[in-house]
Amino acid sequence: MGRKAAAHSSSSSIDSSNHPDHHLPSPTASSSSSSLSRKINGNYCNSLSITRTDLSTDLRLGLSISTSHHSDLSSTSTPREQALINWPPIKSILRSTLAGRAADNRRHPSLFVKVYLEGIPIGRKLNLFDHDGYSALISSLCLMFKTTILCPENNHVHSDKYHVLTYEDQEGDWMLVGDVPWEIFLTTVKRLKITRADRC
Amino acid sequence: MNYFPDEVIEQIFESVTSQKDRNAVSLVCKSWYKIERFSRERVFIGNCYAISPERVIERFPGLKSLTLKGKPHFADFNLVPHEWGGFLQPWIEALADGRVGLEELRLKRMIVSDESLELLSRSFPNFKSLVLVSCEGFTTDGLAAIAANCRLLKELDLQENDIDDHRGHWLSCFPESSTSLVSLNFACLKGEINLPALERLVGRSPNLKVLRLNRAVPPDTLQKVLARAPQLVDLGTGSYVLDPDSDTYNKLQATVVKCKSIKSLSGFLEVGPRCLPSIYPILENLTSLNLSYAPGVHGSELIELIRQCVKLQRLWILDCIGDKGLGVVASTCKELQELRVFPSDPFAAGHAFVTEEGLVAISAGCPKLHSLLYFCQQMTNAALITVAKNCPNFIRFRLCILDPTKPDAVTMRPLDEGFGAIVQACKNIRRLSLSGLLTDRVFLYIGMYAEQLEMLSIAFAGDSDNGMLYVLNGCKKLRKLEIRDSPFGNEALLKDVGKYETMRSLWMSSCEVTLGGCKALAKQMPTLNVEIINESDQVEIGVDDEQRVEKMYLYRTLVGKRRDTPEFVWTL
Repeated sequence: MGRKAAAHSSSSSIDSSNHPDHHLPSPTASSSSSSLSRKINGNYCNSLSITRTDLSTDLRLGLSISTSHHSDLSSTSTPREQALINWPPIKSILRSTLAGRAADNRRHPSLFVKVYLEGIPIGRKLNLFDHDGYSALISSLCLMFKTTILCPENNHVHSDKYHVLTYEDQEGDWMLVGDVPWEIFLTTVKRLKITRADRC
Repeated sequence: MNYFPDEVIEQIFESVTSQKDRNAVSLVCKSWYKIERFSRERVFIGNCYAISPERVIERFPGLKSLTLKGKPHFADFNLVPHEWGGFLQPWIEALADGRVGLEELRLKRMIVSDESLELLSRSFPNFKSLVLVSCEGFTTDGLAAIAANCRLLKELDLQENDIDDHRGHWLSCFPESSTSLVSLNFACLKGEINLPALERLVGRSPNLKVLRLNRAVPPDTLQKVLARAPQLVDLGTGSYVLDPDSDTYNKLQATVVKCKSIKSLSGFLEVGPRCLPSIYPILENLTSLNLSYAPGVHGSELIELIRQCVKLQRLWILDCIGDKGLGVVASTCKELQELRVFPSDPFAAGHAFVTEEGLVAISAGCPKLHSLLYFCQQMTNAALITVAKNCPNFIRFRLCILDPTKPDAVTMRPLDEGFGAIVQACKNIRRLSLSGLLTDRVFLYIGMYAEQLEMLSIAFAGDSDNGMLYVLNGCKKLRKLEIRDSPFGNEALLKDVGKYETMRSLWMSSCEVTLGGCKALAKQMPTLNVEIINESDQVEIGVDDEQRVEKMYLYRTLVGKRRDTPEFVWTL
């Protein structure tokens, strides 16, 4: 090919933002009427956000019945709510077979994550969707592991007699459970670990 | 001109089997044209509207096998209204009137009515083989007619059709005297099946090699059927839900062991936990495995299954296999030639998906890979460049990123360089589907390097008309081009109108071409049918030339405007 195909580290001028929490499209090119900027403003920016931003938006993706792809495009609408109709390109018969199965799964939706108690190599699995918040989760875990886990609302007690709950997020970092709203926690959690309180 | 008598030339032509070669042979001289046309038995019509049935029959009176394709490819994804066209009826009528000795009919994306099937079944006493792929418009009543009247039927193959199931007795319509079945595939039928009739039919068909059942066939019937047909080469199971501790399970397992010839396995439309070990005995001989309709097979059970398929050449799977699972495929299936990975949960941001990692692993482990269809969460240029290096033999490369304009997941750059590497390394690439954030550059590469490219699918890609122009100028062997949601307009469409006569068809939807542009094209090229599909309720779409056309489909034809266009299709 002659050209170096290596990736460039500097972001191009069309990068709106590299901030991982940037969900909304920035109005960088919203004034231009070319379809390029429309596409970039629309789809490209949102691709920078993490894939599990908004489960309800994603669910709406395949069900959108908007007929026109080009009209009613405002810079305030979430791009993924646009008519991404007939996408991904799979045959209708496969789509309906799998949708049927997915619907079955969603009637009893599950988000099973692994849970480890520090010092014990064999972990457990827990369905986060069965719980409506942090308290429910902590109660479940206390029962499951027969230990006391401090609630996030309490002050941290640095002691080896108690445990706290931590989780690994999408970026691989270990964080203390309880700082972000429950719904957002659900979209970022990969697995849980119950660690001794004096480690935090 | 001829150095040999006609009979000798005819004999020689018998070894000329591919349609392409036969077409070439017929152009040599008048004499060869004549000999060839009388000896041609198999005809392939890639677009049923490019020619009329009468002319086909007139030229090839010895026709025995006909393949017809109707709707454009994007009809598979609901982009074409059902009634657009592709009707079988006029063909059957012409073939019947012409007293053609039809033995085989293969249809793709056609509208087939019960009436057509009935007429077919009564008009051709030597009829042996019916293959319907992605067709619609018929019910099990039509199948009953085929079963009842085609005395010599060998093959009834229904692949992914939309069939209105009247829960009928169509299977019982095979007469007791019918013993010629070699291939029976009704996996796409949604309704109940007369199970005893199925067992009897299999019992009296000693030549049965291919059997694909639908969901309504339970495991105990499967066991009975397999017991009567241990010679099967291709099996599609129906429901596979049974108690692993039951008698049925043990019987099934014992029967499976005896089916030593099974090379191709599919189905598992429903699977129970811990049932799969019963199928293990035949895995080591499998060359083809299709689990794309088996979302119930996942996790460690799926991995365990794959680990035993060491001879696999073709694998169709759902993305719940994950990158790790693809790693197992890469280390197990060294003979793999074709891989398709479908999205298991197309609607939700599920946790099951594959990424560029899985693809790289496959390319490293499976050097014989030449056909790929890969639905994934993300891709990178680096991965594509590695894949191109590992597998320079791709003939078909179709990538679909679920977020269609997603850039390189690591660098955030467009995926131009990755696809560029693919087309440059894979000199024999004939079919390509693009995905992800793509600029005009990728089309520059395609035009430069993809010399053998015959079919290209584009969605949400490109910046300007240049993109489309690079492809039209560069790809000399291009036959089918389909584009959706891309910024290509009149300038690209009209630059080289003669090009479309060298192609089968062009589809453009949600692009920038206007009504005026399409009109201009139709005016300049009378040998093309330029069809506008307008489904909206807007009354007067014909007025404003500046208006963007939502869907345009154009194709070359020898017979002019078709006369069966529905209301919403307008031929310019």
